[in-house]
Amino acid sequence: MNSGLTNLETSMFYLTIMAYFLSMIFYWVWFGFKQQVIGQFATLLAIVGLAGNTTAVVLRTIIAGRPPLSNGYEFILTFCWGIVAVYLFAEFRYRIKPLGAFVAPLPFLLLAYIVMKMGPEERVAQAIPPALKSQWLTFHVITAILSYGAFAVSFGLGMMYLLKSHYGGGASGKASSRIPDLEVLDELAYKMVGFAFPFLTLCIITGAIWANYAWGTYWSWDPKETWSLITWIIYAGYLHARLMYGWKGKRAAWMAVFGFVAVLFTFFGVNYFLPGLHSYAQI
Amino acid sequence: MTEKSDKQGKLWELFSSMKLGLALLGIIAFVAAIGTFFPQISQEPDKARAVGQVWQALGFTHLYSTVWFRLSLGLLSLNLIVCSVQRFSGIYRRTFKPLPPESAAGVPRKIRAEIEAAVPVLRQAVERVMPAMGYRLTTADKEEMWTFVGMRHRWGNWGSVVTHLSFVVLLVGALLGSALGFRGYFMAAAGEVVPIQQIQIEKGKVSEDFSVRINSAEDRFLPNGERDNWYTDLSILESGKEVGRQTISVNHPFTYRGITFYQASFANGARFTADIKGQKIPVMLQDQGGNYFQAPGTDLYLIVAAMQGGSGQAAVMFQVYKGQGSQPVQTGQLTVGERADVQGQYQLTFDGSTAFTGLQVKRDPGVWVIWLGSALLLVGLMLSFYWSPRIVSGVLEMRSAGQGKLILGLATGKSGGSRHADFDALVGTLKERLTSEMATEEELQ
Ligand code: HEM
Repeated sequence: MNSGLTNLETSMFYLTIMAYFLSMIFYWVWFGFKQQVIGQFATLLAIVGLAGNTTAVVLRTIIAGRPPLSNGYEFILTFCWGIVAVYLFAEFRYRIKPLGAFVAPLPFLLLAYIVMKMGPEERVAQAIPPALKSQWLTFHVITAILSYGAFAVSFGLGMMYLLKSHYGGGASGKASSRIPDLEVLDELAYKMVGFAFPFLTLCIITGAIWANYAWGTYWSWDPKETWSLITWIIYAGYLHARLMYGWKGKRAAWMAVFGFVAVLFTFFGVNYFLPGLHSYAQI
Repeated sequence: MTEKSDKQGKLWELFSSMKLGLALLGIIAFVAAIGTFFPQISQEPDKARAVGQVWQALGFTHLYSTVWFRLSLGLLSLNLIVCSVQRFSGIYRRTFKPLPPESAAGVPRKIRAEIEAAVPVLRQAVERVMPAMGYRLTTADKEEMWTFVGMRHRWGNWGSVVTHLSFVVLLVGALLGSALGFRGYFMAAAGEVVPIQQIQIEKGKVSEDFSVRINSAEDRFLPNGERDNWYTDLSILESGKEVGRQTISVNHPFTYRGITFYQASFANGARFTADIKGQKIPVMLQDQGGNYFQAPGTDLYLIVAAMQGGSGQAAVMFQVYKGQGSQPVQTGQLTVGERADVQGQYQLTFDGSTAFTGLQVKRDPGVWVIWLGSALLLVGLMLSFYWSPRIVSGVLEMRSAGQGKLILGLATGKSGGSRHADFDALVGTLKERLTSEMATEEELQ
């Protein structure tokens, strides 16, 4: 039965990546040609992908008997879930479909990374060391996923902003004219960061609580911790620059993009380039 | 102004500026980033010591404890305190003593609505509807005019102050921990008694005086063969008497008199008896040379190179080193109960396998302050981002024949206006109420 579930999970993984891939293509085509049906398909595919993603995550939880948050494969899978969930929320709530053309590549690329770089032995549910057996770890990763998902969406908004402001609303900007007003983008990116920032804070705090239970030190300046703090400071800078100096528009958009690069570095770069406590995450 | 107070004023101004704060934050982030590219003494002592002397001397291998780094954190908290103090009275006034506008000119322009109706009807509508929708009203009667300001989520005003001060609280917690706490480690075999004064200390000083007895240590597995956890059953002994007992495991520490024991590691080991000229000494050694035994009066060092098998038919391979020598002078293998002669100096009997448990020991009186600071930080952020104040102010101008014109507007925060929906709902409800009231009045007539 267990191998049946494992096979089902694997199928769900491939369904998810296919759906995200097609969804990305449809968002692009829709972005270029504005066929309403195509746009609807794009959204539908994103929903199908999210359903597959959800199923894969749930199956992994059942197979492993614990939340699926303990190795690189599992974390990327849930990270993608967070991005698409936050994105779809934004699409429905704020009616901003063009955003899909910018956000959809992220989950696809992340999952493609799994396919390219991770052997089957890295993807299976592994036994976890005692240090990872903690409820706090669950909270830690859930908050990470929500904040990273929202940061990913603000990244997409920032890219849209930069693209639109670069090409302007001029004659050449047929696709660009489909992008909402600059002000709307800017405001929405701020909303996303404002939503994500408290969650990032909570993520860092729950991580500290967990570390204190496991090792007796709530903060040890290991590279992953340090980079999450740096990410936090970058977004704090974004919020302050906006509040106090009215940094909106281009500069804010650059900061949203830059902030997400820091998120990705915290996530991948640290595991690749830098050693530390978190290296057991072995992405 | 005297020169001195002028200087003080300038200093105050510098420290109340957000420019300085952001610059400090930027510096801290930058320095923190550099530290991740150098091995740090606290994390990887061996690698850190291999870094060039110059870098070490400059503090690159212990960046986070350098004076400069700490100084920048200190300056940041000073900055945060000063700017909180400076903004305190303003925020207090805004929260608890909001002023209604003096005239229509004082009503926010960007998001505004105007309604005309009979004066008493309008006034009553505002007085009823706004509190019902959660706005706290402050009103003023003026000549030919009635003015008001209503506020929802007024505690949101305190978000930034709470957030900023929580950072200071966190720093205080960290300072308390490093000034009054200690961190240490010991590894002991089942049955051993370790005086807390004798553990290996990494930081701080132990002033307590009690002992820890390891009753048992176990590497437990689940039915499916995966590791469950490491368990240590330990007792606290005060002058030889047991005063506390607990089984701990990774993620489940135990605290006694402010000192917390964390399960950190585990190793298998072997029990021996060394018989030195009739004197029997119990010896416990970790597998794979984790520790050694130096027989008294000799320069012979005994280690366990490898172990095998369960408790029943366990076997060990031991090695003996002499002085500084890097090659063993003797190697041998023993099963339970077997005995070997070590260099003609003593007899060694293998009594069976045992378990070693590695415990992190820590006292940190600042940790509660850290959790308090974390809670404040979260509360502050919640207030800032999910509870921003909504302020609607307005004037009711009296015109001829008892008619009035209500002008009301929504104050938009610095982050820009996205709260139209609330305002629209308020205006909608006001209008609804007016029409229904007029309808009833008509009915009455
Ligand atoms: C040390 C340098 C800092 C200074 C001088 C500073 C100053 C300020 C100022 C003047 C405001 C404007 C508040 C308002 O307009 O009501 C503000 C807002 C804020 N600050 Fe800071 N801040 C600093 C550091 C931080 C840090 C480290 C954080 C951590 C996250 C932070 C979080 C916030 C938040 C969340 C707000 C939003 C307040 C609101 O929306 O009302 N600040 N800060």
